[in-house]
Amino acid sequence: MPVVLSEGLTKRFGGLTAVDDLSFVLEAGTITGFLGPNGAGKTTTLRMLLGLAAPTGGRALIFDQPYSQLADAARRVGAVLEATDFHPGRTGRDHLRTLSRAVELPDSRVDKVLGLVELTDAAGRRVKGYSLGMRQRLGLASALLGDPELLVLDEPANGLDPEGVRWLRDFLRTFASEGRTVLISSHVLAEVAQTVDQVLIISRGRLVVETSLESLTARVGGSVRVRSPQQTALAEALRREQIETTTTNDHALLAHGTTSDRVGDVAFAAGVPVHELVAEGSSLEEVFLELTSETQP
Amino acid sequence: MIAQTNAELLKLRSTRTTVGLVFGMLALVILFGLLAGLLTHAGSLTTPEDQRGVLAVGSLAGVFSALAGVLLVTGEYRFGTIKPTFLFTPRRSQVIGAKLVAGVLAGIAFGVVGEGLGFAIGYVCLDARGIPLALHGGAITLVLLGTVAGVALWGAIGVGVAAIVRNQIGTIVGLLAWGFIVENLLFAFVPSIGRLTPGEAENALAGFTTNHLLSAAAGGAVLVAWVVILALAGLALTARRDVS
Repeated sequence: MPVVLSEGLTKRFGGLTAVDDLSFVLEAGTITGFLGPNGAGKTTTLRMLLGLAAPTGGRALIFDQPYSQLADAARRVGAVLEATDFHPGRTGRDHLRTLSRAVELPDSRVDKVLGLVELTDAAGRRVKGYSLGMRQRLGLASALLGDPELLVLDEPANGLDPEGVRWLRDFLRTFASEGRTVLISSHVLAEVAQTVDQVLIISRGRLVVETSLESLTARVGGSVRVRSPQQTALAEALRREQIETTTTNDHALLAHGTTSDRVGDVAFAAGVPVHELVAEGSSLEEVFLELTSETQP
Repeated sequence: MIAQTNAELLKLRSTRTTVGLVFGMLALVILFGLLAGLLTHAGSLTTPEDQRGVLAVGSLAGVFSALAGVLLVTGEYRFGTIKPTFLFTPRRSQVIGAKLVAGVLAGIAFGVVGEGLGFAIGYVCLDARGIPLALHGGAITLVLLGTVAGVALWGAIGVGVAAIVRNQIGTIVGLLAWGFIVENLLFAFVPSIGRLTPGEAENALAGFTTNHLLSAAAGGAVLVAWVVILALAGLALTARRDVS
């Protein structure tokens, strides 16, 4: 039984199709990154998964049930959709208690999750005095109240400092190693690249890629930045060797899907002087941007 | 639904807004209780109906119990806490049901405190001015219980209207305009319809007998009918609408 099953999930607002025929499956024990630029339909998809919005078409099942039919939802699924969903005048502890009491969890559980996200000292303060990072952690605490099997987090790394991001990564890793499942959305691939096992990339409401992180990384050919006083001749020589190039803003050439060794060899063979030759670092983000812009008109 | 109701009552207790409502209610009841009890000409305080006006001044607490009911719903939409609330209790009818119960319970508290204070102020004022009490026994019981019941039901009306409207300012402005303007105009110009409004039904429930008002029992029934209609509409709309 898949933990999450989305089948042809579609949401239209008037003439706008926010989520378009989205199908995917999440298996237990995995961490999945749900990626796409802002406005791609990530949050709308999560809202449909969690029963907050009704799909226009298709269906979303969690543990084989629509979320709204799930018995004991709070003990099976923990979710945070926005880091700002708090009454500013309520203390962090009271916020959690209003939720825990509704499903008859003991107050001791509230104190436990406050400790888990390291908010014990701030728990008695009103949320309006919390930083964005603290609000993220309070949201995470609310999702953990029911000790769930599935965690769904919308942009959980927003507002976290690097230390917080590392803490979140370790936390999610431990969580998934216990056989539990995580779905986290982000508009920045780098933010989750070190955390997730697989990625779902959507753009304009459509699924663009569903793959493991390894195979996404394998797509990264890398690119080489090269500058020459005979830029046109060099581009021509590279093109003859089936190496695509583009010109950067500062008039350097960017050779794609190749190595600096190869570009140097081609330049030497063509007798073109080279003034700069640099292999660009990880371009996972570029692959992501490329994938998500493919479907743009 | 007991657990959800506990959660809703905690939502009320855990913000300062509720404290503000309680103090606002106390201030208004004291102010109008003293104004009515001390400044009304003694000759206009002789009939049972005159004295009801002074002794049932706690019905003003209904404004505040309605606001508490409204805030239970609109506060959640305004600050987005409705999302975690529905995530924890996906059956939305249970959430709205719990809010209705919590609204009535809060309303009972407002009613008991407000009318207890209002009645005491009115009674002391009449006594101090040597005006003999024209209400006795069952009539006094009706003023007390009817006023508390009316205030309590306004809590549920607040929840129902807010579940329909969702927007906080819209709900509050709409309810105040309805209660203080529309109802009075309707009752003044079309009393056969105006007496069916929640506010006039509430007056009937507290034993008022002004021309055209319903009997106390009918007033109570009409007020309960308002609660049921608004609650059902609120439940139906809440179940259908997306939350963002």
